Amino acid sequence: MKKGKVTITITIGLVFLILTAVMFVQFKTINQTDITSLENMREDELRTEISSFKQKIEDLNKEITDTDSKIAEYQKAIDSNKEASELLSQELEQQNNILGKNDVKGNGIIVTLTDTNDQKITPEDLRELLNQLKEAGAEAISINGQRIVYDSYIVDISGTFISVNGKRIVSPYEVKAIGNSTYLESGLSKKQYGYIDTKLEEGKDVKLVRKDNITIEKYTGDLNFEYAT
Amino acid sequence: MLLTMAICIQINTIDAATKTVGTTLKDNSGLRDELLSVQGNYENLYKELNEKKQILEQTRKMAAQNNDNDTKNDSSIKDNQKILGLTDVTGQGIIIKLDENREVDSNEVVNISGYLVHEEDLLYIVNELFNSGADAISINGQRIVSNTSILCDGNIVRINGKMVGVPIEIKAIGYPERMDPALSRPGGYLQLMADEGVKVTVERSQSITIPKYEGVYSYDYLSRGDT
Repeated sequence: MKKGKVTITITIGLVFLILTAVMFVQFKTINQTDITSLENMREDELRTEISSFKQKIEDLNKEITDTDSKIAEYQKAIDSNKEASELLSQELEQQNNILGKNDVKGNGIIVTLTDTNDQKITPEDLRELLNQLKEAGAEAISINGQRIVYDSYIVDISGTFISVNGKRIVSPYEVKAIGNSTYLESGLSKKQYGYIDTKLEEGKDVKLVRKDNITIEKYTGDLNFEYAT
Repeated sequence: MLLTMAICIQINTIDAATKTVGTTLKDNSGLRDELLSVQGNYENLYKELNEKKQILEQTRKMAAQNNDNDTKNDSSIKDNQKILGLTDVTGQGIIIKLDENREVDSNEVVNISGYLVHEEDLLYIVNELFNSGADAISINGQRIVSNTSILCDGNIVRINGKMVGVPIEIKAIGYPERMDPALSRPGGYLQLMADEGVKVTVERSQSITIPKYEGVYSYDYLSRGDT
């Protein structure tokens, strides 16, 4: 009788041990499920990922060609013992255009958001708009004359003002974006879930126009690093 | 009894998970091969571009050395590359980690694909970090530059076009005593996220390295304005 009890106890103990082990293994499996890994991607995710890489490959090829031609031009200047001043200032100017150190111009779109009695425009509305414009390939953006640079921020000041780059701005908010106007417009105008439709549905006053030869003023702040080297 | 139930629920979960993966394996193998091939192609080209950029740096420097103004412009170009995010940078700062709470009961584990960190959260945190003086920011290795977009795409967040999943690691170089309280203060954004069930940790560090932007700036529509 006593012997039987021991056997039962050991058996139950073993079963528990195995069960616990199985549970741990399973918990681990679930923890390790990584939704960004190739094996777990759905068909539509795979397709998006492939087309995203194809776009990046196109960009890289363009940049490689561009780099090649710059190397060739500098090499030519060295070989012929000529100065490369023009090339250098060209390269510098391109960088300054992108960084926001120069006034820039080009074709694009203008989105105007206006406060109404019912619906005020919030910093989130503007941040979301910038994000969508960047996704659609905007090369330069400004809000009420404030050029958006890499470290720009948009915040609410005590519920009264919106501040961009630390400068107060008021409604109507005029957001200028230079880029491919077709991409920019269609990026914002997707049916139902697009930016414009979403905001209109929320009752907000949003207008979009295409415009040629938009001018965006340069950033007036400081663009240097303080802590990063 | 409880144990058995828990195990049954888990087996079901895993079954469901493997089933999706299983069909994916069968039906999408062509697509996955294609993805692997474009990924490989991309990596080779990226390496090639980096090598060419180095040659360009050397050639430009050589071409600029005989003229003071040219030498000055060459060094301005180098400085600009840093601000454009085209170099790795190091400095003091903070590291924010956001993760799904994995110590939940087995019924919630079923919801593993439910995404807890959204594009608005990341946009808000980036905005707040720059507002508190950050010099450079990366999210899971993706450098935040002037044309970075952060987009939700189903269960996945895309930053600079690259897929990013939990756990999320946000690195910011700047003054930790300013950036940390801006986000961690009581009632602040990170606390609100923690209240919603996101596992949040913030760590200050004396030496953080943030990788360079891997993408390419385009300026097809942009030219210098009338001055």
